[in-house]
Amino acid sequence: MNYKERLAELRKTKIRHTLEKRGQQGYMNADDYGTVPLPEGYKFTPVPNSPNGGFYGYTGMAENYCRMLDGHPIYVDPLEMLCGRWRDMMVNYRRATRWDEARFPFDELKPAHELYNITHGIDNDSHFACDYRIGFELGFGGLLDKVRRYAEINTDKKEFYNAEEAVLLAIMRFIGRHIDEIERLLESEERPEIRASLEAMLECNRNVIAKPPKTFLEACQWTAWFNCVSRIYTRDGAGFQLDGLLYPYYKADIESGRLDRDTARFIMSNLLLIDPHYYQLSGVDENDKDLTNELSYLILDAAHDLNIAANLTVRVHENCDPEFLRKAVTCLFRDRNGWPRFCGDDSLANGYMKNGFDKATARQRIAVGCNWMAIPGREFPMNDTVKINVAKVFEVAMSEMKGMGARSTELLFQLFRVHLEKAIAATAQGIHLHIKHQADVTPELVMNLMMNNCIEKGEDISRCAEIYTIGIDGAGLAVAADSFAALEQRVEREGILDWDTVYSALESDYAGTEGERTRAILSSAERYCGGNTAGDRWAVRITEYFTEAISTHPLTWDGSMRLIPGWFSWSRTIEYGKVVGATPNGRHSGAPISHGANPNPGFRPDGAATDMSTGIAAVQPGRGNTAPLQLEFDPKISEEEGGIDRVLDLITTHFRLGGTLININVLDGEKLKAAHANPDLYPDLVVRVTGFTAYFATLSPEFRQLVVDRFVKGF
Amino acid sequence: MGEVTALIADIQHCSLHDGPGIRTTVFVKGCPLNCVWCHNPECISPRPEVMYHADKCIGCGHCAEGCFSGARVTCGREMTLDEVMEELRRDKPYYGGSGGLTLSGGEPAIYPEFSAALLDRCAAEGIGRALETSLYAAPEVLMPLLRRCDIVMCDLKHSDPELHKKYTGAGNALILENLRLLDSLGIPIILRTPVIAGLNDDDENITAAAVIAASLKNLKYYELLPYHPLGVSKAAALGREQTIFEAPSPERFRELAEIVKSRSVPLRIAGRGTDI
Repeated sequence: MNYKERLAELRKTKIRHTLEKRGQQGYMNADDYGTVPLPEGYKFTPVPNSPNGGFYGYTGMAENYCRMLDGHPIYVDPLEMLCGRWRDMMVNYRRATRWDEARFPFDELKPAHELYNITHGIDNDSHFACDYRIGFELGFGGLLDKVRRYAEINTDKKEFYNAEEAVLLAIMRFIGRHIDEIERLLESEERPEIRASLEAMLECNRNVIAKPPKTFLEACQWTAWFNCVSRIYTRDGAGFQLDGLLYPYYKADIESGRLDRDTARFIMSNLLLIDPHYYQLSGVDENDKDLTNELSYLILDAAHDLNIAANLTVRVHENCDPEFLRKAVTCLFRDRNGWPRFCGDDSLANGYMKNGFDKATARQRIAVGCNWMAIPGREFPMNDTVKINVAKVFEVAMSEMKGMGARSTELLFQLFRVHLEKAIAATAQGIHLHIKHQADVTPELVMNLMMNNCIEKGEDISRCAEIYTIGIDGAGLAVAADSFAALEQRVEREGILDWDTVYSALESDYAGTEGERTRAILSSAERYCGGNTAGDRWAVRITEYFTEAISTHPLTWDGSMRLIPGWFSWSRTIEYGKVVGATPNGRHSGAPISHGANPNPGFRPDGAATDMSTGIAAVQPGRGNTAPLQLEFDPKISEEEGGIDRVLDLITTHFRLGGTLININVLDGEKLKAAHANPDLYPDLVVRVTGFTAYFATLSPEFRQLVVDRFVKGF
Repeated sequence: MGEVTALIADIQHCSLHDGPGIRTTVFVKGCPLNCVWCHNPECISPRPEVMYHADKCIGCGHCAEGCFSGARVTCGREMTLDEVMEELRRDKPYYGGSGGLTLSGGEPAIYPEFSAALLDRCAAEGIGRALETSLYAAPEVLMPLLRRCDIVMCDLKHSDPELHKKYTGAGNALILENLRLLDSLGIPIILRTPVIAGLNDDDENITAAAVIAASLKNLKYYELLPYHPLGVSKAAALGREQTIFEAPSPERFRELAEIVKSRSVPLRIAGRGTDI
């Protein structure tokens, strides 16, 4: 079998796994994560070390992790060149008792968290990025030596080092079991080309079980192992600058003749198949020099060969190789899998520098998450784990104004500010609690291995990161902005409605014909992303205040920590919408809130992506975190003369105007509707849901509807 | 003298199908032709019209106080140059090297003063200029507009004068004459034929069109546009009936493509290549 035939088979296996997983887990509404189905009869029973039935801290986590890894099914497919796959995740086993509230209560924060629908991030984990260079340099054996060496220095940190040592030994045992399996498969494998690659896989794994990777194949296998074992611990999905860190291995192997490009491409496809970690490609260094190289191109080709979900982000800067950007856009349209996406270097780096960091540091902060950036090895950002539902904050303010005398949008905005500030304060306190006690609850025993300071100091990363720039995302911007705009236009400027009518309509959820008329009046007002509309102005005003309030919020426990604002809802638009009553933008009670920084569907009759792009560029908080532009394109555009150039113009202009991140779906409307009606007929249809890509068939009907609506009513 | 205005039916931002690059398409209201398949029937009359979309009516009974559900929509707004320019400037950052204004309709030549001034303003601000025209206008009115453009898109709806008159309400002599004059200006031309099964998809008509296309010195390409019934529901909203036609089959398009290609005419079908 040649590589093409092998990949075709692997792709079939992937599709089969996707459907089997949905059978096992139900609708996932999340990234695919690269998991394979659990075998029949698999069972893991955690051993608690707490009266509440949970397991916590260095010892509790290490013991259970070792038990899980020792019992975790192995995965070797002879058609691959790399091995290992994850299927089970340890922290899933304490969902009901996730945070150890008996020891670290936060009852006093709960009323505010509930009132403002805050996703507080307490005991969320893994949302930072490892520095893979540490692992590449030391290998698992070297990391073990390092742990043992520092254990002798920091003798008061025995529990920490014992845990890290146990984790490393378990990882090596896990790899060892795969080596046994490869040997077993070789006993019966007769196809010569498959025997050859199994032998290469065997040699590679015998090396990387303890030694640092020396070849491209070994570096990819080492990456696959770390990704796999880190996923099993806490689902960590942060990758690295894929074309940068692997390039020296690739170059050396190609130059020495040890590796040919076709094999390198197959190995890369294999790595991307094993796990859709978030990787950055291209970009510039601290001297604005282009980082694109031959491997950048090869990675796109490898992802194309594989043709499944991937989380590749191309960093865009005016100095970057324009041909690479063009190729990236071409891939997006050719394969229609929602990758790559694009992030804007200027606004991200310049924005991050506003927090007091130099350019070199800002440039190290790369795209390694769904919507987020992090500095590998150095930063603890909790990005994408903390969110405030500003649609809910708006509702609270609106409700408070009801009984007041001189009602106005100005008064409403003052109330909104007060409540937003309260929400931010409660959020910051939650972050404080989390950072203070994460080590006691969910220490990051796997990721610690590749973070600066951890092994050296004998501390969990939550306690010893070099940089704490902690992200707080707002969700529901368009709902709040359009609500303010509708009230300003229809009540104050035009006098078509009065406040009592609006309140009455909201309370009845726009019931009856009169309610529906009120809803029509409000929802047809000037909306956010309509193009220099009242909605656009309110969105900017809300963002300015949101940014100011978060960026300057005092963190009482440590002056070196900063909060960084962004706009992002992740896939929680349905969940967040359920707790928000009817809003003055014409939204019904319980309906989903707006998506990320995007406008509400139907924001303009022509759905102009340019106005959406300009509107979203204007609401960038501008401190290094993102407010993504989510676009849906018809695939036919790329077939038209100059179609790719049009998309390139849109991407580069959005970034020139200040945009930070662009997620693009290229969807055939008819196919999407057909897949919505019968998802099983399209098990390989991939859509970019928010920052992540997902198999359409694994999304719940409700979620599929959202994607369909966005496509049909949006662009 | 009052400010120059035109009755504008719509302004579409981020238009990806009305010429090269990202464009803003300004649809003027009013057209001297009345094509039986017209996909923009709301742009035929030079007066504001109310369009009624029954499916959007919520039955509130407050029509006289204004409709907000989208059921009754007035098509046609008198706009000044400044107002139109403001709309264009919003899209301007996205035009790149190839995009810009597409002045369309209706027929822009029925507002010669406004159209010329708009094209001049765009030129002054470095905005690209495309014109979509029926070419059915007096040459002395049309030529000054054509000269102001970077690219012109125009139709050859039927090569037979009588059938042209039957289907569009006017003969094609003036159009063919203007096409010749246009070609003398050295401006790239995209020549198009909306192809409707049974009306103009015969070999003879497309051969004649291909011969004309082949004779143009400045032809960028010739485009066959498959009929689509977009105008039917809009005509209904205007209280008019529009016949539903059919587009030729893909096989027929392939045959027509062969006819055109045999004349060495660069061809596109619906903006794309000729693979159907």
